[in-house]
Amino acid sequence: MYEPDNRVNSEIEKLTQIYYREAYQHESFIRVSLRKKEHLVGCCLLLSCRLLNWPISMATISSLLDADPMVMGMLYIEMVKILNIEAPIVNITDVMEAHSHDYQISSLHAPEELSESHKDLTKRAVELVELSADTWIVTGRRPIPIMMAAIYLSWQSLKPNKHRLKLSLEKFCQLAKVNKHKPAIKRITEMKEMLCKLGQEIPWVREAVTPDNVVKHVEDILKHRHALLRRALRAQEDALLAERQASCEDLPIKEDADNHQLHGETLKSQDPEPNWGKRVLFAPPCVVQAKKSRVEQPELTDVTGDEEISDSEIDAYIRTPQEVREFALSQKMLE
Amino acid sequence: IKQNRQTKTRGNFPNSCFYFVGVLFVQGAMTPGMSIFSPMMPYGSGLTPQPVQNTNSLAILEEQQRQQQQQQAQQANAGLPGTSGQTPQLYHSQAVAGSTTTALPGNTPLYGTPLTPMTPVTPATPASESSGIVPQLQNIVSTVNLGCKLDLKTIALRARNAEYNPKRFAAVIMRIREPRTTALIFSSGKMVCTGAKSEEQSRLAARKYARVVQKLGFPAKFLDFKIQNMVGSCDVKFPIRLEGLVLTHQQFSSYEPELFPGLIYRMIKPRIVLLIFVSGKVVLTGAKVRAEIYEAFENIYPILKGFRKTT
Repeated sequence: MYEPDNRVNSEIEKLTQIYYREAYQHESFIRVSLRKKEHLVGCCLLLSCRLLNWPISMATISSLLDADPMVMGMLYIEMVKILNIEAPIVNITDVMEAHSHDYQISSLHAPEELSESHKDLTKRAVELVELSADTWIVTGRRPIPIMMAAIYLSWQSLKPNKHRLKLSLEKFCQLAKVNKHKPAIKRITEMKEMLCKLGQEIPWVREAVTPDNVVKHVEDILKHRHALLRRALRAQEDALLAERQASCEDLPIKEDADNHQLHGETLKSQDPEPNWGKRVLFAPPCVVQAKKSRVEQPELTDVTGDEEISDSEIDAYIRTPQEVREFALSQKMLE
Repeated sequence: IKQNRQTKTRGNFPNSCFYFVGVLFVQGAMTPGMSIFSPMMPYGSGLTPQPVQNTNSLAILEEQQRQQQQQQAQQANAGLPGTSGQTPQLYHSQAVAGSTTTALPGNTPLYGTPLTPMTPVTPATPASESSGIVPQLQNIVSTVNLGCKLDLKTIALRARNAEYNPKRFAAVIMRIREPRTTALIFSSGKMVCTGAKSEEQSRLAARKYARVVQKLGFPAKFLDFKIQNMVGSCDVKFPIRLEGLVLTHQQFSSYEPELFPGLIYRMIKPRIVLLIFVSGKVVLTGAKVRAEIYEAFENIYPILKGFRKTT
């Protein structure tokens, strides 16, 4: 495990022991299984690291203990509640440095053409993750696939030659000797889409910026990201304004209809409201690619709860004697 | 009747994720009330909770509780019926620098800076300030006592809509079409009814299950019907910076993206748990009456608006 500063670690160790002693003796944990108590150590370690601003992910601790991250996570939440402690969440950019050290991609481990210094790689990946966070790619998502996607794209963009651009994520992970995380592929796609939107605003780029060629522009995009973001947002605003003016001239009634849809119950008989995520430049991907919501059953309105219940309705739920015999027979045969 | 209905998994999150959230709610119901005050102890003793970054907010929290207690005392004196104190735990967040998607030049904080100070909002928001969004009820859980011992094997044998696997679960699972609900019927005669979209529907459904049990030959009654939990949901239609929200409302929030994509907000008054997602969708649960859902949403809406980006 990457541990550059032993001094900090001894402080964390002390705090971990204190919390563990407290948690272990608590009535909620004193009688739990040995395995769970091992998980508890991990939880106390995580808590101490967070309180002392030592960036570490739950996944790292879980893997060290060979534990299911979900199980450990649930225990952590329970423990924090029982001990009544508020621990800050981990900032993904802080974990990035430790995470990038897992990738054996330096000149010691990889051929020269494919190698990259950790310093450069981490710096670029952090910028990419910050930009992704601003554009709604990070919130609500698991951090590790995001970091993997950022490192992969950063690595490609630091030397966007044929070799690197052709190397798939899978091969890159094999090269760097890390386990591939499947969601990272989706994150790469999302990041590339976002980068394209910004890349298009670069004044000196004449060609269309597409996911296939955006990697070579990543350096410029990151360097001028604030300005490009402003330009892209302004362009989007102008486009929306123009659209609104055009629609205002055509349909004066439409705006009222929109207002009514926002108030009170949604009118299911009408067409579904246009997805607000498609009307802004950047939106959380779960909004932009909204899954089709389940068709609502026709609502039972004005039910008092005291209605008469007809015999026939109830009889429909009861087997006939014949059915009972057949069912009993089939049960016997299955035994 | 479909056997073994499986809960749908959304995206990459396994069923254990939803179980995880369910466990949180159950624990919420069973553990004593969470203290909202972090004791002010010097940092570094090892047993201290995270020192509150913003001492102002703590002072305001205490002030708020004091005001609340005063109000409740006043209400009691005025002879009002036992209404739960209407004062929400509510802080109107001001716009946060850096929480917009437009990155500021220079060092962009990844998450919004904590807000200082936090101003409490007056209770009973007037109609003109209300959100205009009404949460939809999605699920009602109720219980009723049929008042007699039941032979589950007989019920499973003679009812068409029943499922019974004693090795897996010690209750009959029964379903009716209208209102579309599911019931768990125990040999003790107690019954749980889930899936209804309103209190009245839940009661009607429970009565129908009781009638089925009656028709199967048991002297079923309908005692102590009670709504145990109500779940509502709505959509504020703007994205929410969960990282910012957990920073400024740490006492109430839990956000662990490694485990679950939503932020879990445990509101004190009313005692409701909210799941807040980046998409702006909000799930509210833990209510015994629907007014609690509406009140909780009206409380959270201004807070969420504070984290809305402005272009």
